[in-house]
Amino acid sequence: MLVYTIKRLLALIPTLLAASILVFLFIHLIPGDPAAILLGDTATPEEVAALTREMGLDEPIWKQYLLWLGNVLQGDLGTSVFFREPVLKVIGSGAETSILLATMTMVWIVLFGIPIGIVSATKHGTWVDQVTSGGAMLFASIPTFWLGLYLILIFAVGLGWFPSSGFPSVSDDGGWTNLRYLILPSLTLAAPNAALIIRLVRASMLDVAREDHVRTARAKGLHPAKVAIKHIFRNALIAVAAAFGFTFAALVSEAVVTETVFSLPGIGRLVVQSILRRDYPVIQGVILVIVVLYMVINLLVDLAYARLDPRVSLK
Amino acid sequence: MTFIASFLSMFRGRKLAIVGLIWLCIVAFAAIAAPLLAPFDPLEIDPVARLSEPGMPYLFGTDHFGRDSFSRAIYGARMAVIIGLGSVVVALITGGLIGMLSAYFTRLGHVLMRGVDVLMAFPALLLALVLMTLLERSVTNTIIVIGVVYATTTARILFGMTLKLKGEVFVDAAICSGAGHGSVLFRHILPNLISPLLVQASFIFAFAQLQAAALDFLGLGLPPEVASWGNMLSEERIYVTRAPWLLIFPGALIILSVFSMNLVGDAMRDSIDPRFKDDIAGV
Repeated sequence: MLVYTIKRLLALIPTLLAASILVFLFIHLIPGDPAAILLGDTATPEEVAALTREMGLDEPIWKQYLLWLGNVLQGDLGTSVFFREPVLKVIGSGAETSILLATMTMVWIVLFGIPIGIVSATKHGTWVDQVTSGGAMLFASIPTFWLGLYLILIFAVGLGWFPSSGFPSVSDDGGWTNLRYLILPSLTLAAPNAALIIRLVRASMLDVAREDHVRTARAKGLHPAKVAIKHIFRNALIAVAAAFGFTFAALVSEAVVTETVFSLPGIGRLVVQSILRRDYPVIQGVILVIVVLYMVINLLVDLAYARLDPRVSLK
Repeated sequence: MTFIASFLSMFRGRKLAIVGLIWLCIVAFAAIAAPLLAPFDPLEIDPVARLSEPGMPYLFGTDHFGRDSFSRAIYGARMAVIIGLGSVVVALITGGLIGMLSAYFTRLGHVLMRGVDVLMAFPALLLALVLMTLLERSVTNTIIVIGVVYATTTARILFGMTLKLKGEVFVDAAICSGAGHGSVLFRHILPNLISPLLVQASFIFAFAQLQAAALDFLGLGLPPEVASWGNMLSEERIYVTRAPWLLIFPGALIILSVFSMNLVGDAMRDSIDPRFKDDIAGV
């Protein structure tokens, strides 16, 4: 297991480096002088000249990259054109909202996705299965922002049960009750992903159900519910666990839209606004942070996978 | 004829998938015949009739410019088909070629597939957003961006399949009988990949609709004047309380089309992969 972990960690380095090169090149792919782009429209020629020297823009491009990478490794992701603050600080200010939103969404996904998936698989072929599988596919076909808009219309504007937009920090007045601001957004975000997990739990349970050890368990007269949970679901969980890395990517993508619909002060909305404001240092920083996070999560998922299924690390 | 017959046989006993297929045919017909079917010019502004309720002569009502929503929805079908097919073509050709060549020429594959891995480290919509910031808002650029995003998954899938096929006896036989690389790849291996490619195409088509709508919503997709379902939702969303029908019709059209495409894709995949054959009888 240790050897496998080290191997996976080492394999991560080239991919990370390559991704960092792409993120670095992003600024250079925008037409125009990178220093002028990074400083925004209000910059004076002196400021541009100073940044040009600081970034080493007169140096060859590989030197610029090493300089940039060195700064990034020290936690310096540049300065936001719009906020006039370090990029890392700007990203950090959206972290609370995004992390809480993601956590709540994950709770919904597990709460709805797994039980419905199990029911769908155990009732496989019946009308229950057809309704749940069909329903899951329908939910995966709804545009996130459309669902969000209608949840706002029904539960915030119509019934007045939840706030329609924004999110005050849990350290503000109201404390943890402020989480009610995140109920509709997290449900919106959970819907397509829970649908995916339902289909996955179902498919992998049906796969496992064909294996010999399940037949043995049935043959010795175990209660069907016990077979479903202890013998089938536990093994199917391996495949489901592997999908959580993939779910993270989907969450990030849809969080960009959801946070915009509900005007949440998170990282997803920050990306969209930074794009519209042409705040390139922030765009670059957020992408870098998300890509690194995504790779780390995938690594953790793979390690968990290897632990759950010893056949993987022995290969 | 035999191709159509074998295509239709995939849907035997799957009523919902057949309904989906019929709906997709309707969308395709609307896309082709849009100028004949649309009662009004989708761009024609009628300030007097702005935000009219659904009825006659405006079947789906009018938007805040007084444009006929029904006509815009029909031209939106055309845009949906263009975006869907365009993304599928870009994704399958670039992704397919990368996957096949990588599996066939092992050394080249090491380089190309690492590149694919790197691109896959970027969540789909984020990659699309970043690419859109570098490009202008246009139909072609939207297609390219969505196509590139799904080219990565296509490359992965085709890489695995080509690798498997490469070890088959019929490929050895072709090589022994003196077939060149091009001939082995495109005349012997490619025909065996048509069915999985078709399945992949259906899913890309479906996802492309959702991605394009999301890009439109964020103001980074098609130019705002283009009549697309995503733009209709995006532009009229501030009128949702006053004119809820403006969001219901385009929203329902997107959902129905994506759902149908997913059903059709599922039916095709299940008929190709016999493991699933007797599983999901109805759905």
